[in-house]
Amino acid sequence: MTGAYLLSQIVNGLVLGAMYALIAIGFSMIYGIVRLINFAHGDIFAVGAFAALGSIAIAALPFPLAVLVVLLAGALVGLLVERAAFRPMRGAPQVTGFIASLAVAIILENLAVMTITAQPRTFAIPAWLGALVPLGSISVRVVDIAIIVLALVLTAALVGFVRFTRTGMAMRATAENYGVARLMGINIDRMIALAFAIGSALAAVAGLMWGAKYGQISPLMGTVPGLKAFVAAVIGGVGSISGAVLGGFVLGLAEVLFVGLLPSEFSAFRNAFVFAALILVLLVMPNGLIGKSTETRA
Amino acid sequence: MRNWISGLAAVAAAGLLSTAFILPGAAQDKEPINVAALYNLTSGGLSSLDAPSFNGMKLKAKMINDAGGILGGRKIEITAIDTKNDTRETATAAQRAVAIKGLVAGIGQSDSTFALAAAPLFQSAGIPFVTSGATSPDLPDMVGDQMFLVPFGDDVQAHAMAEYAYNTLGLRNVAIWTDNAMDYTTGLTRYFTERFTQLGGKVALEDVYMTTDQDFSALVSRLQSTTGVDAVFASSGPDTAGIIVKQIREAGITLPILAGDGFDTDLVLSVPGEALAKDVYFTTHAYAGIETGPAQEFRAAYQAEYNTAPENAFAALGYDAMGLVADAITRAGSTEPAAVSKALAETKAYEGVTGTVAFPEGKRVPNKPVAIIKVGGGKMNFETTVTPKG
Repeated sequence: MTGAYLLSQIVNGLVLGAMYALIAIGFSMIYGIVRLINFAHGDIFAVGAFAALGSIAIAALPFPLAVLVVLLAGALVGLLVERAAFRPMRGAPQVTGFIASLAVAIILENLAVMTITAQPRTFAIPAWLGALVPLGSISVRVVDIAIIVLALVLTAALVGFVRFTRTGMAMRATAENYGVARLMGINIDRMIALAFAIGSALAAVAGLMWGAKYGQISPLMGTVPGLKAFVAAVIGGVGSISGAVLGGFVLGLAEVLFVGLLPSEFSAFRNAFVFAALILVLLVMPNGLIGKSTETRA
Repeated sequence: MRNWISGLAAVAAAGLLSTAFILPGAAQDKEPINVAALYNLTSGGLSSLDAPSFNGMKLKAKMINDAGGILGGRKIEITAIDTKNDTRETATAAQRAVAIKGLVAGIGQSDSTFALAAAPLFQSAGIPFVTSGATSPDLPDMVGDQMFLVPFGDDVQAHAMAEYAYNTLGLRNVAIWTDNAMDYTTGLTRYFTERFTQLGGKVALEDVYMTTDQDFSALVSRLQSTTGVDAVFASSGPDTAGIIVKQIREAGITLPILAGDGFDTDLVLSVPGEALAKDVYFTTHAYAGIETGPAQEFRAAYQAEYNTAPENAFAALGYDAMGLVADAITRAGSTEPAAVSKALAETKAYEGVTGTVAFPEGKRVPNKPVAIIKVGGGKMNFETTVTPKG
């Protein structure tokens, strides 16, 4: 094994990790505010991929504009799902919301299968995104660099927003304590809707990246990446944005290095490895890498 | 309230009864011949094989019916059930199919795992199941005497590719990628390795993945760092076919990619795009190379019916499966499943579009020629036809 080989596998892991991170942020934000594990999140990722297909392949929008459209489409679907499925259940036991999210996932998937069928579709990207760029001893594609850069920029923007704006402060307050935040005059419903909108927009962008990188999308594509992003959120510490990002990168790297460094017979067990890692983290560090131990809220 | 419900029930029952009474009257005097079609029509990469197969099958049935039907003017009636790219759905569909009154035979599937989900139910109902595209040569032994294959077995196509790779392309060291989640791909790899090493070739690297995997970056890096590889044999189904070609080529690897008939899908061209989809060779069912009467007739009829050329060889296989079953019914002179099954087993030489189907000596897998297709210039180009020696 050479240094170049290790380096190229690390880059592979980082690119995969960047996409997991973007999906995991939404998982974490929504959990942080409403204590809801939203299993429909992976399907919003698929919605993003199809919004991207529509805006790039059909409407022929330039790439940066397509990113914007995908962000908006994701946010819109997130808001819709929150309004229709989760707001009416505010105050219900946690397990109700969890089951509702499974129902939303099934409805979204079946709607897609009914309207556009579950056939895989080709996702073509502009040629410049596929070009190879030499980077020291290895070469990397423009799309891979774009994925990592876009993920980091979006994360930085989000962290800045949550930390330094009034609305961000209100969101943190809501996450910390619902009741007190409401007493302080914060519009709780608006904060929750905002968390759904932001989280879903990021998942949708991850869908765009996935399509651009792998070139083939289908309405059921969100299931596996959605579950893995959930694992990433748990590894990082559910409820923490920086934890989700860290968890995403750690998981992406671990998954690729698992395949890359072990003998090839083990390659087929990468998913088993990811979920074994989940169990291990839950046993050893139930709060994740940088999650705080959260008291159960009344 | 009670009255209201029973009233509704009565209306519904009346509706059901009336349809039950009207149908036989509308279907003129001659009873139709019932055939079930089980295909993955809407989901997954397999639908890119199954949908053309189903179209081919419908086309053949229509042509037979337009020509006056069989057994003295009886028409073939196809009941199609979508198996939704799910083996449980497939088993349920088979259960529904065998419950159809007067069902003569079932046709369907392009993948061995799915054929294995459906066929045993036909076997226990004593109704023949003819697969148009599932290629595991072990299927008849695993299922029983009601299982028939229209395509060649995977041993034949893998041996053909091994011989073509070694003798014609002059390849000596291959890397093999295998989808570990499918019966088809694991079998294909086994047969390919067997013949290729027998010829004197070497397997330089073996890597495995699962059907749902989309990220092949780790496998690509490993392939790139392995020295002395002349080609990659991608033992893949249609779901991953396009993605594999795309990711290998995008990394700048120009090695020839070899594959089986799982690559006979438009995804191999469209996912990587014209510039990257090149130097890909795969084996498929010989109809591309056959220029005789039935093949030309099939092409023209398909074009006229669906306003497109046949998408791939699976369209021709569906067409042949329907033709073979109709031929067996004619020879049996009956729609009794047992008689049809016996006639199928005695098929001596059914001239299909994909070659001649014959089931010699109780084998229910035909020995047919294999077409080699080369992908390049945005097209699937027919290279040659191989009949393997080993």
